[in-house]
Amino acid sequence: MKKFIVKIILFILPIIVIAMGLELTLRLIPNIYKHKNDYLNEHGGEIETLVMGSSHTFFGVNPQYFHNNTFNLGHPAQTLDVDYLLLKKYEDRLHNLKTIVVPISVFTLYGKLGAGVEGWRMNNYALYYDIRTSNKLSQCFEILARKMQFNIEIIVQYYFMGERDLACSDLGWGTSYRPEDSKDLLETGNDAAKRHTDYDIHSRQYEDIYRENIEALDNIVQWSNEHGVYVVLLTMPAYKTYRNSSNLDPEILTITIDTSRSFAEKNDNCSYLNLFDSDRFIAEDYYDADHLNYIGAEKLSRLLDAYIRNQYRLDTE
Amino acid sequence: MLFNTIDFATFLPVVFILYWFVVNRNLRWQNFLLVVASYFFYGWWDWRFLSLILFSTLVDYTVGLRLKNEERLPWRRFLLWTSIVVNLGFLGFFKYYNFFLDNFIRAFTFFGYEIHASSLQIILPVGISFYTFQTLSYTIDVYRRKLEPTRDFIEFAAFVSFFPQLVAGPIERATHLLPQFYEKRTFDYSKAVDGMRQILWGLFKKIVIADQCAHYVNLIFSDYQDYSGSTLLLGVLFFTFQIYGDFSGYSDIAIGTARLFGFSLMRNFAFPYFSRDIAEFWRRWHISLSTWFRDYLYIPLGGSRGSIWKKIRNTFAIFIVSGFWHGANWTFIVWGALNAIYFLPLMLMKNNRKNLDVIAEGRFFPSIRELISMLVTFGLTVFAWIFFRAESLGHAFGYIARLFSSSLISIPFFSGRGEAFYVLLLSMTMLLIEWMGRDCQFALERLGLTWKTAYRYAMYYIIVLSIFWFGGSEQQFIYFQF
Repeated sequence: MKKFIVKIILFILPIIVIAMGLELTLRLIPNIYKHKNDYLNEHGGEIETLVMGSSHTFFGVNPQYFHNNTFNLGHPAQTLDVDYLLLKKYEDRLHNLKTIVVPISVFTLYGKLGAGVEGWRMNNYALYYDIRTSNKLSQCFEILARKMQFNIEIIVQYYFMGERDLACSDLGWGTSYRPEDSKDLLETGNDAAKRHTDYDIHSRQYEDIYRENIEALDNIVQWSNEHGVYVVLLTMPAYKTYRNSSNLDPEILTITIDTSRSFAEKNDNCSYLNLFDSDRFIAEDYYDADHLNYIGAEKLSRLLDAYIRNQYRLDTE
Repeated sequence: MLFNTIDFATFLPVVFILYWFVVNRNLRWQNFLLVVASYFFYGWWDWRFLSLILFSTLVDYTVGLRLKNEERLPWRRFLLWTSIVVNLGFLGFFKYYNFFLDNFIRAFTFFGYEIHASSLQIILPVGISFYTFQTLSYTIDVYRRKLEPTRDFIEFAAFVSFFPQLVAGPIERATHLLPQFYEKRTFDYSKAVDGMRQILWGLFKKIVIADQCAHYVNLIFSDYQDYSGSTLLLGVLFFTFQIYGDFSGYSDIAIGTARLFGFSLMRNFAFPYFSRDIAEFWRRWHISLSTWFRDYLYIPLGGSRGSIWKKIRNTFAIFIVSGFWHGANWTFIVWGALNAIYFLPLMLMKNNRKNLDVIAEGRFFPSIRELISMLVTFGLTVFAWIFFRAESLGHAFGYIARLFSSSLISIPFFSGRGEAFYVLLLSMTMLLIEWMGRDCQFALERLGLTWKTAYRYAMYYIIVLSIFWFGGSEQQFIYFQF
């Protein structure tokens, strides 16, 4: 027995040491989650407009162009349930909050971060926001969030290739979608439309997810109502190759718009801004068919700011 | 709790240390610890369903005791059927209720009758098909007087819920596993080392092979209309490796883990892809399930005795029930029936017990004849897997039609094709290692034992490194859903 235990310990000791070293190395690399948590802890009380949501708002809404203190708390693939958890997490700090922007994209009502392929991102919420959604121990480790080859890539890029750009502004806006890097709009339109709507919404799984998302959205609206905060439901602009793609399920689009409209009608503190097929956005505004680049983000942010000021007559001076 | 998680990697050493260092002097305490650990292991997924296991345990424990003292045949039958109805009732409700309801509604609609009944939102309890069959084997064997019922509830609860094989087998026979809970266990160094090697190989098959193949399988099967026949062929080949790596990997980890606690579980896979005919394949694939059906269904129905029609009926019965056991979907039934069609000619010509030995025994290379028969069997199995993986019969037939189109003779094309090549190479490496160890209990059993220590450890570290390299995203085991 003693021999067995000694041999096992000797065998796994190097593995544990290397794993701990990698974990530490990864934790020391600045990241968007850590940055946003720090910002909210330090400046949460100054924030007047909070932008939630997925990559659509993370890259598409730049707080710099708002008249009041705005912060972008969006992250790629972030879903409504996580939006609500974040709101609850920082509710004691957000005492100056006046408006919340919640994006309702085509995939929003049928997506759930913890259940999808992007589920590994839940580790970041557990590690940096202390939001745990499962009893899995893997949520406590950076190295277990993603495949080892990606961990190594991150370490090499940061420590050996000097790539230290956080890809996020101080106010939480994603900075990596530059106009010069824009992708093929036709190809990305078809791909994204398929990725976002290629599932059976009448299956039990998706009916459950829809119900849970409606509940999360309702929680956000009710929380806002109790705290005297306005909610703007926002459907982000999408390029025509996405909107008109045969891969886009029109039923899901209709449900998305109808649900948002219904929320706005039922709740006095809620309004709905649908820019899905807005002709103000042209090809040059897009990074790909469903994400805005720098230029598009500026255009949308100014428009959203004007909408909020006009809709709620907020004193921003 | 999944075997391929940090949760299990933490849980296992804790239970191991408590088992061998804290409660090692008392057999009853050791069994009690195993019950607590097993319930914790299962409850980690969803504690609500522990009540189902507990209820099944209580029913079968009571039925077993009553059967011991009951001599009247009608009462003995009543007790046996109580156990069968309770266990299969749970299984039927949780696994098949919606399937039967949907099909009844469709059948009535077909004949012009409108029926309004809504299906239920039922969560399938993990492993219910496995522990139900295991506990049923106990009552049936006690009823047949092949086994003395146990009076000790803790021993029985430990047998039903033994965590290494609770959720995905091997489905143990009470006559084999239960007596092991009566005997004092002593730590055996060589068995423990063997167990660790088997766990390592199981993790390799699961994480490095199955999970990597899964990516391409999902990609190709979900959009099969967009791909060429050659790509679809590659897709089903990937699934062939995925299902084997996934399930045999789980079995290896389960058997290896049990060994660490001084238990011996039955073998579940014996290198099935090296089979020379379908009968041999079924003696080597999911052995614990096929022998369960053989002992408790096929033989009671008459087996291969009787008229030709009876033989055909029994063969179809066992394969279709086996298919249906896997899931409430017509695809599994067709998969079972297809295997029955493969098997039937062998049985009718009395060739089904021809290949009982290990292929190419004592040689490295098989003969041409062996190679051809192995490839034909492999091809038939690969074809049948299409039904197993497809989401519906329409999906399966659509896949087959496209697979056998003119585009079968083309170069496969799909996103990530370059990386897929390496996954295929890894799968071939796994097959090669399995081929080298085909006369052992598991592939890694003897590999490297005669090497210098440094080389042997280098091999272990390469396996560990590949597990970490490809790991990271915890994928569920396919057989959990059954």
